[in-house]
Amino acid sequence: MEFLGLRIEMFENIWSYRELFIRGIWVTLALTAVGYVGGFILGLFVGLGKLSKRKWIYYPAKYYVDFFRGTPLLVQILLIHTALIPSMFGHSLGFFVSGSVALMLNSAAYNAEIIRAGIQSIDKGQMEAARSLGMPHNTAMKLIILPQAFRRMIPPLGNELIALLKDSSLVTVIAASDLLYAGKVVAGAYSRFWEPYLTVAILYLILTFIFGKFITYIENRFSNSYVPSSRRSISSNRRSRIGGDNQ
Amino acid sequence: MGRTFKRLLLLAAVLCTSIVLVACGTKTDNTNGASQTNTDGKKKLIVGTDATYAPMEYMDAKGNIVGIDIDIVNAIAEAAGFEVEYKNYGWEPLFPALDNEEIDFAVSSITIDEERKQSFDFSDPYFIANQLILVQESSDVASFNDLKDKKVSVQINTTGHKAVKKLLGKTNKNIVAAETMPLAISEMINGNADAAVGDNAVVIEYKVNNPKVKLKTVEDDSFEKEYYGLMVKKGNQEIVDLLNDGIKKIKENGKLKEITGFDVE
Repeated sequence: MEFLGLRIEMFENIWSYRELFIRGIWVTLALTAVGYVGGFILGLFVGLGKLSKRKWIYYPAKYYVDFFRGTPLLVQILLIHTALIPSMFGHSLGFFVSGSVALMLNSAAYNAEIIRAGIQSIDKGQMEAARSLGMPHNTAMKLIILPQAFRRMIPPLGNELIALLKDSSLVTVIAASDLLYAGKVVAGAYSRFWEPYLTVAILYLILTFIFGKFITYIENRFSNSYVPSSRRSISSNRRSRIGGDNQ
Repeated sequence: MGRTFKRLLLLAAVLCTSIVLVACGTKTDNTNGASQTNTDGKKKLIVGTDATYAPMEYMDAKGNIVGIDIDIVNAIAEAAGFEVEYKNYGWEPLFPALDNEEIDFAVSSITIDEERKQSFDFSDPYFIANQLILVQESSDVASFNDLKDKKVSVQINTTGHKAVKKLLGKTNKNIVAAETMPLAISEMINGNADAAVGDNAVVIEYKVNNPKVKLKTVEDDSFEKEYYGLMVKKGNQEIVDLLNDGIKKIKENGKLKEITGFDVE
């Protein structure tokens, strides 16, 4: 049975490896979740550090971002897994720790830039107005600047989440049993590449699709901007006369 | 919800269309393979390899592809009267490259096995390999069976990986399949695995390069002997005959034994 060069019976072989694929999906999701949450918290500190006027805070933050944005993630993963962690602890802590730490540090650098740019995009007058009402700088930051900035950060932060999910496939190189790893094992077992990698691609696509839906929901939830009514996911009480479905 | 479903359908349609386009685009009619004929009448064959497998095939400091496999193929080419040009493809792209006739044959420590024989033709064997178990010096592993409930690191999709999959079950969590053999060994040294399994040549090479690391090798007769062959596109008998002629000649004149140190029957 062949269809466009795809051997249909290969999918039975892939099915017999389903355990690896299911574990792979969980590992991919777990790495992404840990990397993203850690990366967001760390990124918030680094991002605020880049806005600091104090040199001993500003420069470390700047060099941190320069390093992690200026070297390939694959190199960072290998460095952390094969050199940094073994030399710090005397032995490796397993692929999950190395992988999630690498993803976290990398994601933090990108998130830091998003957060810095988000804060700087708020008009100077907002801070001046808050200060002239007698608010201390930190309170003004917390109540006036950050809420507005956060709304602007949501789309690029969402992009970063999807980018991180896809980049997590790089941890395959340190023998992490993620989704791509499952595909590689099947591909090698049968020396066929079409079907296993296509399966992996479709599974990643499903994951990014779900993430995309989630991000759209969050954007709508926090947005107060104009959204064209056809795209509005919050059901309005205006029913269209044709009776089209309002998603 | 209806709209979401429609969008998913559209996505699937787009995917299928792109697959059709890609599949159509790869049909080429080239009956001569990749070989060219030189001005002096000697055939020049393009040889694909994955040069990340010291000491069998790897890149030297100048970026040349060298190794035991390469020496053997050079000797075969000399004996059978053709010229060779090596191209580094990496492991996985080797297989489609043969199918698409980008290369005439592949040399990359490829074990002749039944599954591969279904999709490709092989020359006569030119090298015998054995799997070795590599463990920490303090380890009490004495045979392959002792690894049943241990974590084992291998290079992904090698014969060692296959053997370990048989022993532990093919989707077992305890198999740590790394990208390269040195990485697999470092997983073991760093404590992510209790033992590493790999080809004797590569494992011994690692020990030579890292004399300070305290490791020992364990041999096990239960590993099947493996024969390396040169891989050729299915049905390309002309090249198979040419290679076998060369292999026969270097077996007879002792050149093969000179390179590898043992006879191949």
